[in-house]
Amino acid sequence: MFVIVVGGGKVGYFLARELIQSGHEVALMERDRVRAAQVTEEIGSIVIAHDGCEGKYLGEAGANRADIVAAVTGDDEDNLVICQMAKHHFDVPRTIARVNNPKNEGLFKHLGVDEIVSPTRMILGSIEADIPVHELLHLAVLGGGELELVEAQLRDGSPAVGRTAGSLALPDGCSIFALIRDERALSVRSDTELRQGDKVIGIGRTECEGELHRILLGETEAAG
Amino acid sequence: MPEANNAIFRRAVVALSGGPTDATIVRLACELGRSRHTEVIAVHVVELDWTVPLDADVAERSEEAQRVLDAAEGIADSVHGNLECVLVQARDVGAAIVDEAAAREADLLILGLPYRTRFGGDFAIGRAVPYALKSAPCAVWVVREPIGEESQ
Repeated sequence: MFVIVVGGGKVGYFLARELIQSGHEVALMERDRVRAAQVTEEIGSIVIAHDGCEGKYLGEAGANRADIVAAVTGDDEDNLVICQMAKHHFDVPRTIARVNNPKNEGLFKHLGVDEIVSPTRMILGSIEADIPVHELLHLAVLGGGELELVEAQLRDGSPAVGRTAGSLALPDGCSIFALIRDERALSVRSDTELRQGDKVIGIGRTECEGELHRILLGETEAAG
Repeated sequence: MPEANNAIFRRAVVALSGGPTDATIVRLACELGRSRHTEVIAVHVVELDWTVPLDADVAERSEEAQRVLDAAEGIADSVHGNLECVLVQARDVGAAIVDEAAAREADLLILGLPYRTRFGGDFAIGRAVPYALKSAPCAVWVVREPIGEESQ
């Protein structure tokens, strides 16, 4: 497989190195000549010292025959431009973008980037797993970024405690379907009574997150 | 380099560029290696840009590449030398030559260097020679062509 990696920082460097070790053909684009020389020194003559945001150079890197273009620079705008150009100008079958600001995820999806990777969201997810920062834990993004799989741990005072699942007025497009109680996974039926300490697993549209939070856990701090 | 049999080298890789120094370095290697148990391998690298895969059928079809190899064989024949010619496709000439020398466990790599100047008159050594000098595991000889009158 031929992969073009755009961005020769830490992520790009280790990504290229791993891909080469797996037997793939890799071209790495890095616009900073000093950094490009440094990477060349370390992993060989696979580095193209040009800006991947420019179509001319992306073409010179072989985008016309690339199987994957992975834009992993530290700049979301650059990554979006690179993926869009790869997709629409060079017909690259698969584009992958690093998204640094989680708020940009939807835009990337909307504009046709095939796969987005958000280190910020991943780290946030790990932190939330140990310390419930938002109380509504993001487990995964599904359906091209439109749906989110979330977990809510019910505490003393949560409005859902003592109520059945069927009695909750969940917003349209949201559903709770499983819970973890005493370290056992249970499916949620309409007559399932929710208890303090339950971890309720739900799925819903991203924009419904606030409403889901209010129904299961109470008002968010931001909402007052 | 090997001490046995007073051989200067056991296996030399000669980097052909298609330039004026090819004849000199092929003749040099063949004459130094003649009548001893030595091997001389002439490597010509066809540099491919990233728009084509490395296994594309380019070098074998290249008349220029064949001309370079034929010329080297002609020089070797003229000094009764034994020369193996190899055509390689790569992204970078310097790296490909060094890789070939390392893969063949050569103890000498010989490169020719045309005398060129940049705009402004500074000597231009190119990329392949510095790379080979820095990276080749074996001894490296660089043969620079004489400075022509127009260069002075």
